[in-house]
Amino acid sequence: MAAGITTHVLDVALGKPAAGMQIELFDIGTQPPTLLARTRTNRDGRTDSPILPAAQARAGDFELRFWVADYFKTPDVFADVVPVRFTLADAAQHYHVPLLCSPWSFGTYRGS
Amino acid sequence: MRDKDTSPAFDVSRRRFALQSVSLGASMLMAKTALAADAPASPAPNQTTGPVQQDGLSPRLTMHGLDTWHGTPAAGMRVDLFAIEDGRSKLLQTITLAASGRSEPPLLIGDTYRAGTYELLLHADEYFAARKANLPQPLFLSKIPLRFRIIDINQRIHLPVLFGPWSYNYYRGS
Repeated sequence: MAAGITTHVLDVALGKPAAGMQIELFDIGTQPPTLLARTRTNRDGRTDSPILPAAQARAGDFELRFWVADYFKTPDVFADVVPVRFTLADAAQHYHVPLLCSPWSFGTYRGS
Repeated sequence: MRDKDTSPAFDVSRRRFALQSVSLGASMLMAKTALAADAPASPAPNQTTGPVQQDGLSPRLTMHGLDTWHGTPAAGMRVDLFAIEDGRSKLLQTITLAASGRSEPPLLIGDTYRAGTYELLLHADEYFAARKANLPQPLFLSKIPLRFRIIDINQRIHLPVLFGPWSYNYYRGS
C-alpha cells in the first residue's frame, strides 16, 4: 500500500458501511488548521481516492473530522462532528484511520 | 445500559456495540498479559473496587478513562473540558482523573449542566510518559479529543473512554 492517509467508516448499528458521510482532513500543524480535503464516503464507506494521496504524504499532525450527526438521522446523535487527531510519524508508511460508529459510540484505531 | 427513554430498536443496537467494546477491551487486556514478560515492570495503580452504579442520579456529566494498554483505570491523567460555541473552544476546567479513572466530582452538575457541544481532551502523551510506557515517539495519539453533545439537560450523561496508544472508543454510557 502506498503512503498517505486513507479512512473507512462503518456504521455498526446498521452493520454496513456508512455511505455519504462528509469527511474533512486538516493539517493541524498550522494555525488555524489548513483544510486539505473535503469529501464524502462512497457506498463502501471509503473515499474514492486516498484522503491524503501518497504524493502529499509528510510527517505531521493531522485531524480527520467525521460529520456523524448529518449522517445519522436520529435527533439525539451523541456528537455533531467526531474529530480524530493523530500524528503521522513516518511519511513512508501508510496510515489507515477508520471510524466505527453508531449514533452513540465512536471508535478509531490505526488500521491496515 | 438501562435507558428508559430510548426506543427498543436503538437500545438493542447500543447494547450490542457496548458489548463489542467490552470484548475488544478484554481481548486487548489478554494480549497485554501475554506480552507482560517482555514489558518493563511498572507499578499498576489499584483497580477499582467494582462497577459504580449511577442509575437514578440527578443530571450530570461524568467520565471514566480506562487504559487498555496497561489494563487499568487511567489514574492521574489530565483531562480538559471545553465548551464549543460558534466553532470556538472555551476551556471550562482541567481535571485529573481519580485513582478509579473517574472524574470526581462530576464535570458538570446542577446549573453548570447545560445543553451544548463539548469536548474532553485527554492528555494521553503525558499520561503514558508518566507511566514510562515504552512506545515509539512521536505517539500516534497524543491529545485525544472526545466531542459530544448535551441535548436534554434532564438526562444524565456518562462518557466512558477506552484508549490505548493506537486506538480509542468512547460512547454514551450509564
